Amino acid sequence: MTRAFIAGMWIHVVQFTRNPFDMAGIVVWPIVYASIAYYLLDSKDNPKLLLASSIGAAVMLMWSLVVIGSSNALENQRWLGTLELLVAAPVPFAAVIAPITVASGVVGGYALVATLAWGTLIFHVPLSIAHPLAFAVAVPSCVLAIGMLGLVMASTFVLYRAAFSLGIALQYPVWIATGLLVPLSTLPPFVGRIGWFLGPYWGFRAVREAALGSDAWRYIGMCFAISAAYAVVGSVCLFFFERVARSRGSLKLT
Amino acid sequence: MRNSLRIFFVGGVTSYRALFNWVNPWVFVPQTLGYPIFEILFFAYLGRFADVQSDKFFLVGNSFVSLAMTGFFGMGNAVGGERRSQTLATLLASPANRFALFLGRAVPSIFTGFVVAVTAFTVCSLVLHAHFAASELAHLAVAGLVGAFACTSFGLCLGALGLRGRSVSLFADTIGGTMLLISGANVPLARLPGAVRAISDLMPLTHAIQAGRILAGGGSFASAGHLLADEAIVGCCYLLLGIVMLRVFEYVGRRSAALETF
Repeated sequence: MTRAFIAGMWIHVVQFTRNPFDMAGIVVWPIVYASIAYYLLDSKDNPKLLLASSIGAAVMLMWSLVVIGSSNALENQRWLGTLELLVAAPVPFAAVIAPITVASGVVGGYALVATLAWGTLIFHVPLSIAHPLAFAVAVPSCVLAIGMLGLVMASTFVLYRAAFSLGIALQYPVWIATGLLVPLSTLPPFVGRIGWFLGPYWGFRAVREAALGSDAWRYIGMCFAISAAYAVVGSVCLFFFERVARSRGSLKLT
Repeated sequence: MRNSLRIFFVGGVTSYRALFNWVNPWVFVPQTLGYPIFEILFFAYLGRFADVQSDKFFLVGNSFVSLAMTGFFGMGNAVGGERRSQTLATLLASPANRFALFLGRAVPSIFTGFVVAVTAFTVCSLVLHAHFAASELAHLAVAGLVGAFACTSFGLCLGALGLRGRSVSLFADTIGGTMLLISGANVPLARLPGAVRAISDLMPLTHAIQAGRILAGGGSFASAGHLLADEAIVGCCYLLLGIVMLRVFEYVGRRSAALETF
């Protein structure tokens, strides 16, 4: 299982960096969202807000890469006719899919570096990390929480043929509900409560608080707790959705 | 000519029907509508938080972006989809007019995009309590049509890239994302650096959004006419470029036998 996970993750990290079109997206998107945030929020003249916005833009991209990258990877497996082979393999299907979603999150780690570098170099956002140790733990915990939420989503992609479209449609609702750029206080109260169930909510707060100097450890703890919950929910969903897809014989349908 | 029209209409209708055979409408409709609605709301609330511009600024800008995306993707996917299903080589071996062939596939998607943009605009106007007079809406529709023409022409260039590359939809997605920034949909053009503004002037949508905002604010065609003319000129230039690219890339693809690589 561990070997399948690590080998699978490495393969998918390399795969994601092979296609120039994919790479163009990975390079451009963080810059676009970070720039929009800087140009709009610059008027507030609050360096901490700009740093928090950088992190928010980076987490947005992490989520996008996970949900789009994993849905695209699964749809490709379906189109190439290898999805049913993966389902039929003796390794649990969760151990095949989790590396795809976590690898997307790892590639999304680039988004964090690119966004912070872009903000510092072009917009002169002061890059000072208050708690480097907490920050170093918060980033992978954020990647894990987002990647494991991707696992739950990926289970529906197995069942659903238009996975890529669903992946794209899920970007903005999660960005809004987790308050990554728009504070939840400006939105109706129920939106924030939805965010509690979403990995990017806790991951963003863990990284932000570590950078700005507040207590990040409780958010890091929540990242690990919610990742474990996602692993359970994702595995159960995958089990049932895989059964449904097998019984319908729809794994090969493109 | 008659044959080209037949290919345009019959091919377009057939591929559009196939789309709904492939995707369940009960899934397709909420998905297609959900994305632009949440996009508009996201930027409108970000604008409120930043105290930059009004809700109408973001509402008009992002509705036009959602219109643009269908132009980009409609044409891009028309070619990319054939490559993916390994039918591109067969299709290009036929004597059919290429422009009619791919435009026929794109126009129904663009029409759907127009309906989606109008619906998203209406829903978000209600959520954000933004009100427009009937005449303003009619003028806005004219600006939207000119913008849709320019974006479809630009999409033809993206579609032509599909003759050489395999992930054109992702590339179109990236270009569409860039439009969020450089077209002035979310950031006032005056705030952007001069070099970016120079690029914006050459891109589709920029002038249409500016015209749309003037018209939606009660302005007349006399005040926005030059912007609409600029947008139409940009659209015509991309149309010509797209037709040339289609011919050149088809020739290169045939020579290198790369039409089926994926």
